[in-house]
Amino acid sequence: MIWEIIWDQMPHLLHGLSVALQLLACLLLVGIALGLTIALIEVYGHWSLRFLCTVFERVFRGIPAVVLLLLFYYGVTDFIEMTSFMAAVTALGLRSTAYQSQIFRGAIQSVPPGQLAAAQSMGMSKAKAVREIVLPQALRHAIGPWTNEYSSELKATSLAYVIGVVELTRQGKYIISSTQGNVLIVFGVVALMYFVVNRAGNWGLYRFERAVTVPGFERRAS
Amino acid sequence: MSALLSVQEIRKAYREEEVLKGVSLELDKGTTKVVMGPSGTGKSTLLRCINYLTPPDAGRVWLDGEELTRRNLNRLREDIAFVFQDFNLFTHLRAIDNVRLGPRKIRGHSKKRADEIARRELERVGMSDKAQSYPAELSGGQQQRVSIARALAMEPKVILFDEPTSALDPELTGEVVAVMKLLASEGMTMLLVSHEVSFARSAADEIVFMEGGHIVEQGRPSELFANPQNPRTRRFLQMITDHHDPDTPDRLAGAAR
Repeated sequence: MIWEIIWDQMPHLLHGLSVALQLLACLLLVGIALGLTIALIEVYGHWSLRFLCTVFERVFRGIPAVVLLLLFYYGVTDFIEMTSFMAAVTALGLRSTAYQSQIFRGAIQSVPPGQLAAAQSMGMSKAKAVREIVLPQALRHAIGPWTNEYSSELKATSLAYVIGVVELTRQGKYIISSTQGNVLIVFGVVALMYFVVNRAGNWGLYRFERAVTVPGFERRAS
Repeated sequence: MSALLSVQEIRKAYREEEVLKGVSLELDKGTTKVVMGPSGTGKSTLLRCINYLTPPDAGRVWLDGEELTRRNLNRLREDIAFVFQDFNLFTHLRAIDNVRLGPRKIRGHSKKRADEIARRELERVGMSDKAQSYPAELSGGQQQRVSIARALAMEPKVILFDEPTSALDPELTGEVVAVMKLLASEGMTMLLVSHEVSFARSAADEIVFMEGGHIVEQGRPSELFANPQNPRTRRFLQMITDHHDPDTPDRLAGAAR
């Protein structure tokens, strides 16, 4: 009986999963683009820009995700037209930016500064030396910690529930409401779906890290 | 001024401490100079000030008649290669790619030409068979030879060596010294900070002795080693020749025999 319901409702759950993954992809992309920019500023930038970036990063790491979602959805939409999905991308994306900036900052700083000096001593501009020498190494260093961020943010997409994004968790809740009960089994299936996507992503990123590693870079224990 | 590299009145202070108190020196094309002296006397700082890796507080540098400025810095740096004490090879690149990077990405040679240069220079330092190795797979001596090849691949007018063998154990020092001797004999213009007495004796045209941020004495190695004028130079040379020079019998070893 209940398995029939799950089977019937599977298209809804898969649609919810697809919304969750779209949200995840968008917020991670926002986080990579802005996070890397902030990291570069924090390491190489002028002190005034560095200060602004640090303030941003502290603020977004210091406020709970749910509160950020509520702030952006109910607060900011008063001034700017935004769907709940867009509000979720913005709130979670900026929060991820703050976390990712620290991943990238650490990765950039783990590249021995002597290599930057060596590139500059050959007549490379600093910007080019960062692009050619520092970033290829820093991004390799970043894959491990970034995998963790992927897991965290995948799970954080379920928080978009609170501002009405119809993602996987909310689809589960709808099924429970419309079929009077079965909380354990429906949320169990939802949990399994998150878990599978989580593991698959981790496995893929681990494979990727191994594929791009070269001798001299520490590998994570498998 | 006919010198290839000319350094005038370089001064550098870290906080209150003045490390270089107005150092001048000239290097003619095809000659090798070795800067020696006790640690903490500003030898490495002098070298780093020449290509502005450490910007000097005052003083001027000319390369081939052109004065180094903020504007032409990157262009002139292409002609002033620098070899570091701790190699600073690019970890993510194979030996051949470390050497190829300069000709390709800085000099702007074609892929084929950059490749030819890289292979030629690896050959010159005897590292052809390790072309495909990553720096982490090489010994210290091998890494330093690759880093010398990387410097040579820029086809520079002068190479600055900052204690190129100080991070190596004696066994590996030999192979790097051999490469530097080869370059000196081929007429490369080189300025070294080094304590390698055997190299300084046989390959240097002139020794510069520094102490306390000044040049206190300079001259041909035969004269300077045999008959140093300055008492501080004499003490220092006595100390390093006693302890480091394989040509001179070690007094302690002699006593134990």
